[in-house]
Amino acid sequence: MERQLSILVVDDELAMRESITAWLQKAGYQVAAAASGEEALGLMERHLYELALVDVKMPGMDGLALLEQVRRLYPETMVIIITAYGSIESAVRAMKAGASDYLLKPFDPEHLMLLLEKVGGQRRLLQENLALRRRLSEGECAGFEDLVGRSPAMLEVFSLIEDVAATDAPVLITGQTGTGKELVARAIHNRSERGFAPFVTINCGALAENLLESELFGHERGAFTGAVRARRGRLEMADGGTLFLDEVGEISTKMQLDLLRVLETKQFQRVGGTATLTSDFRLICATHRDLPQLIAAERFRQDFYYRIHVISIPIAPLAQRSEDILPLAEHFLDLYAREAGKVRPELDDQARRVLLAHPWPGNVRELRNVIERAVIVARGDRIGLAELSFLGTTAPATALPRSLAEAELAHIQQTLEAHDWNLTRAAAELGIDRSTLRRKLNRAGITRPGGGRR
Amino acid sequence: MTPDDRDPPRLTQPGPRVEVVPLGRVNLTAAHVVAGNLQALLGLAARVGEPRPDPEEALVANRGQYDARVVLEELAKGVGAPFRLGVTAVDLCLPFLDYVFGEAQVGGRAAVVSLARLGGGRGAAGVPREVMLERLAKVALHETAHLLGLTHCRAAGCLMSFSETLERIDRISLAMCPGCRVDLARRRRRIVGPDG
Ligand SMILES: [Zn+2]
Ligand SMILES: [Zn+2]
Repeated sequence: MERQLSILVVDDELAMRESITAWLQKAGYQVAAAASGEEALGLMERHLYELALVDVKMPGMDGLALLEQVRRLYPETMVIIITAYGSIESAVRAMKAGASDYLLKPFDPEHLMLLLEKVGGQRRLLQENLALRRRLSEGECAGFEDLVGRSPAMLEVFSLIEDVAATDAPVLITGQTGTGKELVARAIHNRSERGFAPFVTINCGALAENLLESELFGHERGAFTGAVRARRGRLEMADGGTLFLDEVGEISTKMQLDLLRVLETKQFQRVGGTATLTSDFRLICATHRDLPQLIAAERFRQDFYYRIHVISIPIAPLAQRSEDILPLAEHFLDLYAREAGKVRPELDDQARRVLLAHPWPGNVRELRNVIERAVIVARGDRIGLAELSFLGTTAPATALPRSLAEAELAHIQQTLEAHDWNLTRAAAELGIDRSTLRRKLNRAGITRPGGGRR
Repeated sequence: MTPDDRDPPRLTQPGPRVEVVPLGRVNLTAAHVVAGNLQALLGLAARVGEPRPDPEEALVANRGQYDARVVLEELAKGVGAPFRLGVTAVDLCLPFLDYVFGEAQVGGRAAVVSLARLGGGRGAAGVPREVMLERLAKVALHETAHLLGLTHCRAAGCLMSFSETLERIDRISLAMCPGCRVDLARRRRRIVGPDG
């Protein structure tokens, strides 16, 4: 059984607080209670609550003030405001201030159950989308300028972007994780006639099938448990603009068929709905997978593949275009120095050599993270070996590993760094299993620098 | 059915485990139906006790309903059987909730069920009496299991799933899912006495 939500009840009235708490505990939720907004913030400092039920009327910090603090300090926590009949305007204000929903006292049991189920569903969605949202917020202002490169491979990508932006044809962008596929998709959108309409993205790999379906197609009220109100899907939101399906290799063949129908007819229905809707969007897909191989394994539909890859843009891994490493590093130095309000440091010769020798398994994203960290730790106006020490100290060309074993260890260390010492992901990248990786680390006496947090 | 359900627990002391208390103008037959089901399906010795008035302290004047928690506090007072289950005809509510069909102190002494809403649904005339009594038995078993410490379950059709509507009560069964049955047997053994 899935872990239950952790809920904080905030109400100054003892009877309300106690009875809601007892009821939620009986329902199997983890519940804590606070008698004031101040007490609630104290509890939130120590524990992350997924949901807060907040009475709007309290002495001292009232519910709306608490809502504002929670939105600012704990944006992951959903807030449902409790109001009495006759104070509906405070509920409206709460919704405007970012509350997830509101409940009128006394609650309708049916409504309460639906709300809790909805919050549970949203929380799952939120967690699955977290990685995606982080990436998107970082790449928010991505125009063409954010794609940096002077290698022949990237110059080819730039010219492809120019060409396809002028058309409405579907585009398939392929490349390893971290190569910047979404930046390319955005650049196409921004330069196209649809540039002023929405650019709507969805990470198909991050969502379970039924969630993906309702995310894409939308749903009608009551279409499934928790569908408290009707919702527009991404297909509808993308009307007039561009729909970007990231990790398209992860969707099921059934969903591929559904999408194929939409692409052919430009028509679809919401989940649980009967009305036929239309949406005019340009489709851009991306994947790090080898789709022809998936087709051979019957895990991807050939007809769908032909439909989405009318034009394909492959992005080479960073290791294959070393001319781009330093220009990218300089670009990220500008960016993060400005963001941190620091003097822009310069890379010294040793740092340049380290960056050029690194294999960059995590591609541009890894390079970006490395520069961000270097800018943070840099004390003066210079980035040298010391600021890049977390990259592994074996990299300078003058100190290449001598034996095969040394090379292996250096590669393992770099891969671990690229994955922030996540053993599972690093092992997957290295093509060995986790226990083998652990054994190799133990034998070589390698530990995470600065102590293991995991 | 697990072996536990077939063999009633050996009790450490004689006497009924649950006293079913008819409250206010509730029909005695209803109380007997509840007692019989507790005995047959939960393996808890139950008897129908002396009728009592609905506790006036629990009346929420502006809502015309009774606060279920206050009813429970009143029911829990005094000596007698370890568990008390009130059966009432008045409409129950909680400070924050429109209505409840029943309520229990989880792991505590008192529970209560209300007939007020159980006759509803299926048209204006309401449902036949035996349907209402089956609903009553389900709510009574559910609340009594709360007394033993069981919480809500998400298994489809399980007696311990939370039923906020009559349709949901009608859809759940009088039995528990395998997980809850094991939980019940363990808790009953611990509370009611060694079992085999
Ligand atoms: Zn219950
Ligand atoms: Zn169950």
